[in-house]
Amino acid sequence: MSLATDSPVHSSSSDDFAAFLDGELDSISSASLDQEEVENDDGSDVQSMKRRKMEKMESIEEPQDSTSHRSLEENLEASTKKDVCTHPGFFGAMCILCGQRMDDESGVTFGYIHKELRLGNDEIARLRKTDMKNLLRHKKLYLVLDLDHTLLNSTELKDLTSEEEYLRSQTDSLQEGNLFKLDSMPMMTKLRPFVHTFLKEASTMFEMYIYTMGDRFYASEMAKLLDPKKEYFNCRVISRDESTQRHQKGLDLVLGQESSVLILDDTESAWPKYKDNLILMERYNYFASSCRQFGFNCKSLSELKTDENEPDGALATVLKVLKQIHNIFFDELREDLAVRDVRQVLKTIRMEVLKGCKIIFSHVFPIKFQAENHPFWRMAEQLGATCSTELDPSVTHVVSTDIGTEKSRWAVKEKKFLVRPGWIEAANYLWQKQPEENFSLDRIKNQ
Amino acid sequence: MFFHIVLERNMQLHPRHFGRHLRDNLIAKLMKDVEGTCSGRHGFVVAITGIENIGKGMIRDGTGFVTFPVKYQCVVFRPFKGEILEAVVTMVNKMGFFAEAGPVQIFVSNHLIPDDMEFQSGDAPNYTTSDGSVKIQKDSEVRLKIIGTRVDATEIFCIGTIKDDFLGVINDPAST
Repeated sequence: MSLATDSPVHSSSSDDFAAFLDGELDSISSASLDQEEVENDDGSDVQSMKRRKMEKMESIEEPQDSTSHRSLEENLEASTKKDVCTHPGFFGAMCILCGQRMDDESGVTFGYIHKELRLGNDEIARLRKTDMKNLLRHKKLYLVLDLDHTLLNSTELKDLTSEEEYLRSQTDSLQEGNLFKLDSMPMMTKLRPFVHTFLKEASTMFEMYIYTMGDRFYASEMAKLLDPKKEYFNCRVISRDESTQRHQKGLDLVLGQESSVLILDDTESAWPKYKDNLILMERYNYFASSCRQFGFNCKSLSELKTDENEPDGALATVLKVLKQIHNIFFDELREDLAVRDVRQVLKTIRMEVLKGCKIIFSHVFPIKFQAENHPFWRMAEQLGATCSTELDPSVTHVVSTDIGTEKSRWAVKEKKFLVRPGWIEAANYLWQKQPEENFSLDRIKNQ
Repeated sequence: MFFHIVLERNMQLHPRHFGRHLRDNLIAKLMKDVEGTCSGRHGFVVAITGIENIGKGMIRDGTGFVTFPVKYQCVVFRPFKGEILEAVVTMVNKMGFFAEAGPVQIFVSNHLIPDDMEFQSGDAPNYTTSDGSVKIQKDSEVRLKIIGTRVDATEIFCIGTIKDDFLGVINDPAST
């Protein structure tokens, strides 16, 4: 359309033209709406209108009475529905259903999908429900993955120690290997051993999300490293920037029912409301800087030029657990799919780990500390062990930090297992009761 | 819809550009400043096609900059409510899909996708009819109707629908 050639042109006149067109189009659509409203108000009018429309249609189309009639009624129904739009969500401050401009700030912003997309709570609930059915049909659950210390470890280049300098020359290209120096920021990233196999196998059982406390840019860079072909995560990468609460992670941005979500993270405190969904991971500290961050004074894996073991490292262990959970959820539970709860399954499996152990603690909790609230006590109970404060013959393990305490000596005398608290932690991370002799107290002394 | 219109703008030019190439510099700067921007009134400026008239320059006190009123012809693109557009799908998810028509970002919610099309997750998420004959996925071309628009300083957002006659996929990248 060229106005410049066939009309006297001023910028103002073209403005007017745009405004005119806009007005026209609006008035047309509102007029047609009005018409429909009138039809709905007045029953007799509807009849006559319908008849008229039908006649028109018949004259155009082949006479297909029943179908044309039905479609017409459906149209009418649809138009009445449209009049009371529920405004389920917003894109660019417009309702996604009727296109009306709305400036209220309700609902949750899904910034990781599109910065302008905001959905109301009802719509989220609806999406969760429909998506859940869809997913269960494909025998899948949801899995939310943390990045740092769970799937990978990053360090800033300036934090590399002199013993780590050799890494600079070892970085790989994007396609293979798992040590990267990023072009876009001064960082080096090491993927956890086994992570590629892990993602590949987990993707058959789960719809996966990334949820990191890093910022948006970092999150998408890491997603590129983990998933260069974009086959695992698609757009499901959530970063600190989109999070709805500061310093906390939540499932409100994850479009899945809580009863079917599992979380892998190394920081329990990040998920205060979703501890039942959480599988706690052993921290992956490859670089010296992250060892320092968590207060370890030992040499880092990078300095020792070693790494986690691939076939029985943390990711391989947790993959086995995930498989087991998936298997129980879909094949062993007898209830209706809709009422099955993955949190329950997780709990049951965890309870098997230290089943049959009766534990007594010595020199582990500070005096005056309520023993039942201590993390070790809770951890042991979650793993299926019974904890006690009284010495009696049914006790199987004494967990102690000192060989000289009364209870420790009792354990030696009665030939009970005497172990360090690390034994419980190890069982928690590895999902298996660990050989007690690896955690005996003598070893501490020798070291 | 595209329009070929005349717009006016006051251009400020640094004194270093004064000389033989003043006009060229002015036009180059105009193109750099205007092309690719949006205004709520006119929409997205696609390209400048010609200069209508350059007015007298006014020297500004203190800075030495000169302000020229420039009238220029340009092609603008502005979506309207009720308009039918063809767009390329950029992202598909369970809420619906996003599409682009040049600078315009369009969202089509799953409420406004025909009911017989169902979301399929996987590495290439898509909406497919039950018989599998029609598929909307990334890079598909769709014909849609605009039901709401919002024009920002640099971006244009639209709500679209494909739940109407003659709307939907017009070209599927997978089949070609």
